[in-house]
Order: sequence, then structure tokens, then C-alpha cells
Amino acid sequence: MTAAPYNYSYIFKYIIIGDMGVGKSCLLHQFTEKKFMADCPHTIGVEFGTRIMEVHGQKVKLQIWDTAGQERFRAVTRSYYRGAAGALMVYDITRRSTYNHLSSWLTDARNLTNPNTVIILIGNKADLEAQRDVTYEEAKQFAEENGLLFLEASAKTGENVEEAFLEAAKKIYQNIQDGSLDLNAAESGVQHKPSAPQGGRLNADSQPAKEGCSC
Amino acid sequence: MANTKEESPVDGSTLSSNSNVPSQPNNPLSRKLNKILETRLDNDKEMLEALKALSVFFTENSLRTRRNLRGDIERRSLTINEEFARIFKEVKEELESVHEDVQAMSTCCEEMTNRLKAAKEQTQDLIVKTNKLQGENQRLEVRAQVAQAFLAKFQLSSEEMATLRRARDAPVTEDFFKVLSRVKHIHEDVKILLRTNQQTAGLEIMEQMAVLQEKAYEQLYRWAQNECRGLTQETCDISPVLTQAMEALQDRPVLYKYTLDEFGTARRCAVVRGFIDALTRGGPGGTPRPIEMHSHDPLRYVGDMLAWLHQATASEKEHLEALLKQVTLQGVGENMQEVVGHITEGVCRPLKVRIEQVIVAEPGAVLLYKLSNLLKFYHHTIRSIIGTSVASLLMTIEEMHLLSKKMFFNSLSLHASRLMDKVELPPPDLGPTASLNQTLSLLREVLTSHDSSVVPLDARQADFAQVLSCILDPLLQLCTVSASNLGTADMATYMVNSLYVMKTTLALFEFTDKRLEMLEFQIEAHLDTLINEQASYVLTRAGLSYIYNCVQQHTAEQGPLSLLPSMDSSSVKAAMVQFDRYLSSPDTLMMPQLNFLLSAAIKEQIFRQSTELVCRAYGEVYTALTSPANTYTDPETLLPRSPQQVQTLLS
Repeated sequence: MTAAPYNYSYIFKYIIIGDMGVGKSCLLHQFTEKKFMADCPHTIGVEFGTRIMEVHGQKVKLQIWDTAGQERFRAVTRSYYRGAAGALMVYDITRRSTYNHLSSWLTDARNLTNPNTVIILIGNKADLEAQRDVTYEEAKQFAEENGLLFLEASAKTGENVEEAFLEAAKKIYQNIQDGSLDLNAAESGVQHKPSAPQGGRLNADSQPAKEGCSC
Repeated sequence: MANTKEESPVDGSTLSSNSNVPSQPNNPLSRKLNKILETRLDNDKEMLEALKALSVFFTENSLRTRRNLRGDIERRSLTINEEFARIFKEVKEELESVHEDVQAMSTCCEEMTNRLKAAKEQTQDLIVKTNKLQGENQRLEVRAQVAQAFLAKFQLSSEEMATLRRARDAPVTEDFFKVLSRVKHIHEDVKILLRTNQQTAGLEIMEQMAVLQEKAYEQLYRWAQNECRGLTQETCDISPVLTQAMEALQDRPVLYKYTLDEFGTARRCAVVRGFIDALTRGGPGGTPRPIEMHSHDPLRYVGDMLAWLHQATASEKEHLEALLKQVTLQGVGENMQEVVGHITEGVCRPLKVRIEQVIVAEPGAVLLYKLSNLLKFYHHTIRSIIGTSVASLLMTIEEMHLLSKKMFFNSLSLHASRLMDKVELPPPDLGPTASLNQTLSLLREVLTSHDSSVVPLDARQADFAQVLSCILDPLLQLCTVSASNLGTADMATYMVNSLYVMKTTLALFEFTDKRLEMLEFQIEAHLDTLINEQASYVLTRAGLSYIYNCVQQHTAEQGPLSLLPSMDSSSVKAAMVQFDRYLSSPDTLMMPQLNFLLSAAIKEQIFRQSTELVCRAYGEVYTALTSPANTYTDPETLLPRSPQQVQTLLS
């Protein structure tokens, strides 16, 4: 077809999980709109946001599914782990209970995603240092023990929000580069233009992230 | 000496000249002399010149030469004059020849003048013509410029034409749109031209531009259609040029619509294929696993399918938004809804078949209820993306929602009718029957799942009443029927117990207030029965029953109470002894049925209120017996306790 420029080379699907009220939607909002959403309502089911960002010189479209933290939505949100290339597991540094629940979130994430899914642990509300209830060190240790990326961020000030999404994206990209994410196998049956320059889609479900489209 | 010699000619000439001068009265000689003396040779240039000339040839001053001087000079003068005459002759001849020439020229000129005159006369016309032509030329030049400007404004350059007539498979570029918009502009501008008297040109250009425009649109359409046709990968990226093409095509609603249709069809294929893949193949290498792997778990199975469709719908909406980003047409929102509806239409059948299978397999009331809630939730969620509920996908989901709801209520009704088929007798302890308990636990489960439902609050409330009446109404009927053969107290107890269980079950859930109130009323009705029963039980056992009846039924015509049978002092006294015994331990007198009551609070309430009735009865008896009209002797000893005392003792 044409040599027209395309908008991005990959799509990465992300999912944001964690207890109710830890600021998942605010992180997403801060990331996509660069604004802090005060008194944000409880998420109903699952919401959705996208943004294109540059990762190692490649344009990557992040398609982010923000899940409700309320227990009653657990059954619904579990269906959204399918095919996620990255999972942002969020807790609130001022509420230990949200940290204590991480292992259950992690179990869900491990069971419902594929082994290559990059999981990043995010301690949100880092601006509330005075009310801190979970130390950086212990969370860091938890992350290391479980092979997770880790950052403390603040959806309010925007600190580390961009980085959190970017770190995960870099890691996913790296996985593609060293072949641990086998794009070719992924797309084999699914499609494509043979002229596709670089690889393929990062498919996680049948619809995973995709590759630079042909073009 | 020389001077003297020279003087003589001078003198001679002077003399000769002076000879003409009238003689002066003075001595002429002296005057002459004076004059000579006065002569200043230095100043006489003529003299000097003459002398100089003389010195040339007068080289030898001798007598002879002096004598011959005059002759010499004359000769010399003659020679010079001759020479002069000769030269002048030449000059004259020359002049004559010049004169001839000039004459000839003059003739020539004259001739030429004549000719010129003739020519001028002849060319007069030509000049006029030429001038005219020149003027015309200028006008034409101006016109040419105007025409040039006109062309620049109303025609395309050859490059532009080339861009517009691109090769069939050449890509559409930015330039194409520029030219297209120029054609459009020209077409617009020509309308102004039409208002002038340049109508023919205007019409022609208009027609030409219209043709070009149509051609260009058609080409663009073919290109865009082709482009869209290729968008069948699961993930698609809309190129900016395609977005621009849609913007341009919006001026041709038909082409615009066809292109959108093409896009919709391509995406629809992609979505169907993706859905089937997700269902049956799963991701790469089997992770995530195919959705159908979970078909044994209906809730997860259906949930996964709907979640997949939700995500696909959101992605498709995004693609469409990217595609139509620059379209300013009115109703673009409806276009999008339509196209998203079209795209998601393909998955309806596979989805419907699968959900129907799940529902028809009768997974049980609770699961059906959960499914129906899940479907409702996704109906709501997906509708918020599509923006309308007329899309087939939503209609399918709604249909499945209604089906599951219907099956759910069927299941409940079935349950209820089974209960009524085989009415269970109340157990000996007058507690709730097993079927009641079982039905209530079903209700509890339903309500629990309702409480944790993902459906928004207002939507949840709606079918609540139906669920409750579907379960509670047959239950109430069941209780009434099964209690019909019992005695009053037993029946009341049984009913209170059953109602109480229902009430406690409901109390834990939201939106049950109305039902609870109703149950409360029913319980109270039965409570009154029990209170009366208990009071009369106590009165009978405490021996006050007969006396109380007599007091109540006594009328003045019957005479004093003490004269009535068994109302004499001794009988009354005996009864009072019995009553006193009751007063000492009021708790012992209790209907056995009260012990079967499940709720201690209700039991307490019955006890308290029945005791109040007893007190009141005693009060009436006391008033009657102490009344002088009834002629009891010494009523104080007969009735040692005042009603206040009794009240105190009993409370």
C-alpha cells in the first residue's frame, strides 16, 4: 500500500491492578492527561486510556486498562488480564493494608497473564511522606524477591508516573529485542504483510501488542 | 645711418601723404619735422612688420639695391599677388566644385523631399494603421496579462494536473490534497465569475473543475477503499493520509459512506477472526489459553468473552476516531456509532450461540442470576463506548440478558411450584420447615450476588422487587397453607417463626425495606394473637379467668356480683390465693409454644404485653370487686393487693 507514515510501531497492552482507592485511575489520568484528578469516582468495572510514547526511539502505543479495585468487580476485572504485556500493580504507601494485599494481586497477575508479562510494582501517593506506612526498602525487597520492577510515584504531583509506564515499556521492548517475547510465533497464524520491517506484533492474546505495521 | 636711410622712404611716404594734407598755417617743414620727430617707431607695428619683411630680401644695402628697392618691392609684391591670385583661383575652382556639389545635393534633397512628401502622403494611412495596431497591441498585452492572471487563478498548472491524474497505484500524497482543495476553490470562485458577464468562461471552467473534482474524488475514493480493504489485521494503524482522505471525501457523502462501509467490513472481519482465535486458539504458544478452555466455568467463560468484546469495541472505536478525526460533517457521531455497530455485528452469532448454550444448560438460579447481571453490566459498559443501544452486539447482549433473566425467574417459579406441590407440615418445634430454609438460602445467595453485582445501583433496584416477590410470595403462601391445620397458638407461633426467618434473611440486604415492613406487619398480626393467647393462658392458670369473665359480662340488672354463682367471697378468695402464687413466680406460667419462638426479643415482647393485659384484667376485677355496689364484705382482705402492687410485682 502506501508509504504513508504510520503513527506507531507497537501496541503494548497494560493493565492496572490494586486495591480500591490506591489511585489507579488517577495514575492513568495523570499519565494520559497530565493532570491530577481530585476526588475521582470509583471505577465501574474497567476503564480505558491510550497514549503514544517513545521507547528506545520506537513509537509505542500504550493501551491501558484500568480496573476497579472493589472486590465485587474482581470477577469482571480478571477477564482483562488476558494478553496484557504489562501490569502495573499499585498500592498506597500510606495504607499498609493495600500493601499486604499485594500477594493476592500478584497471584492473580501470575495466574492470568503469560510468563512474559512485565509486572511493575508502584507505591502511589509518594507525596504523602508524613503519613507513610510502608517503607521504600521493604517494598523494594518485596519487588526484588518477586522479580518485579519497582517505583514510588505520585499521581498528584506526577512524580515518577511517566517513568513507571516507561520502565515497563522499556522492559517489554527489551524482551522483544532479545527474543524472549516471541513475536513471530505469535503472529504466525494471525496475519501479515511479509514486508513488515521489524517484527511483529507483540501479541499477547490474540490481540496483543502489535508490531509496526507494515508500511 | 641706417635710420636715416630708412627715414627717407618713410619721409617720402609721409611727404606724399602729407602732401594731401592741407597745409598748415605754420611752417610746413617744421611741422613735418616735428611729426617725424614725434613718430614713435616702436609703436608703429605696421612699420615694424614692413621692416621685418624688408629685411628678408633686402640683404645688401647698396646703392643699386637702394635704387632698385622700389622695383624689388613692387616685383615682390607682384609675385606675391600673382601667387595669391593663383591660389585663389584654385580656391575658387574648389569652391565652384563645392558649389556644384551643393547644388547637386540641393537638387537631390529637393527631389528627396518631394519623394518623402509623396511617401509621407502614401504612408499616412499606414502610420495611422500602425498606431492603431500599436494601441491594440498594448491592449492585447494587458489582456494577455489579465488572461494569464485569470488562468493562474482559474486553471491548474500542469504539475497540478499531473498530481491529480496520478497513476492508479501511486500513493496519495499531501500534494494531492492541496490540488484537490485548489480545484474546489476554483470551483467556488467561478461562482463569482458567473455573476459578471463572463458567463461562458465561468460555466466552462465550472464544468471543467467539476469534472476534475469528480475524477479526483473518485480516485481518492478508490485509493481509500483499497487502503481500508487492507486493514484486516487484528491491530490496525490509521495513516494520517487516510485520515485526510476521509476529510476530503466527506464532501461526497456517497463515496464517504462507501469508504466507511469498506472500513467497517474489513474491521468486522478482523474482529470476528480475532474473536474466534481468542476463543479457540488463545495467544501465542497457548498463553493466554483459549477462552473456550474455561467453558466449564460459565461465569468466567461468558465474562472472558464479553471482556474481550469490550476491549475490541474500545479499540475499534479508537481506530474509527483516528479515521474520522478531521471530518467535520454533521452527524459524524452517528456515523461512528453505525460503523462500530457494523464492525461488532459479526461476533454476534458466535457469541450468542455460546451464551445460549450456557444458559440452556440450566446452571442453576443463582448462576443464571449472576450471568444476567454480568450481561447487563457489559451491556452498560459497551453501550457507553458505542454510544447507542441499537447496535446488534448490544441487542444480542440484551437478548441474552433477558433470556438469562427469564430463565432465572423460570427457575425460581419452578422451585416455588415444586414447594407448593408437596406442602411440608410444620415440624413439632414449630420452627421453619426445611423447604423454607432451603428456599431462603437460595434467596440469600441470589441477594448476595445481587449485592456484589457489577450493575449500577439504580439498574439493580429495578428487578429486585420481582426477585423478592418471586421467592417470598410463594413462601408466604406455603407457610399459610402448611399452618392451616394447626391450633391458634401453634399457627401463630409457626407463622411468627417463619416470618421472622424471612425477615432476618432480608434484613442483611439493600432495597428490602418495603418487604421488611410488610413482614413486620404480618408478624405483629400474629403477635397479637399470641399475646392474647398467653394472657388468657395466665388468667386461666391463675384462676382469674372466670372472675374476669363475670366482671366483664356483668350488668347492673344482674344485681351485685357477689350474688352470682361461684362469685362469693370464698370462691374469690380461693382464686386470689392462686393468683398470688402466680405473682410470686410469674415466669412459670408460659404457653409451651412461646418456648418455640426463635426470637428471644419477640418472646420477651409477648411476655411483657401479655403481662400488661393480665394487669389490666386484674385492675378491672379489683375495681369491680371493691365497688360497694357489688356488696363484698371487707374487700380489702379479699383483694389484698392493689393493681399498682400487682403491676410492680409483675414488671
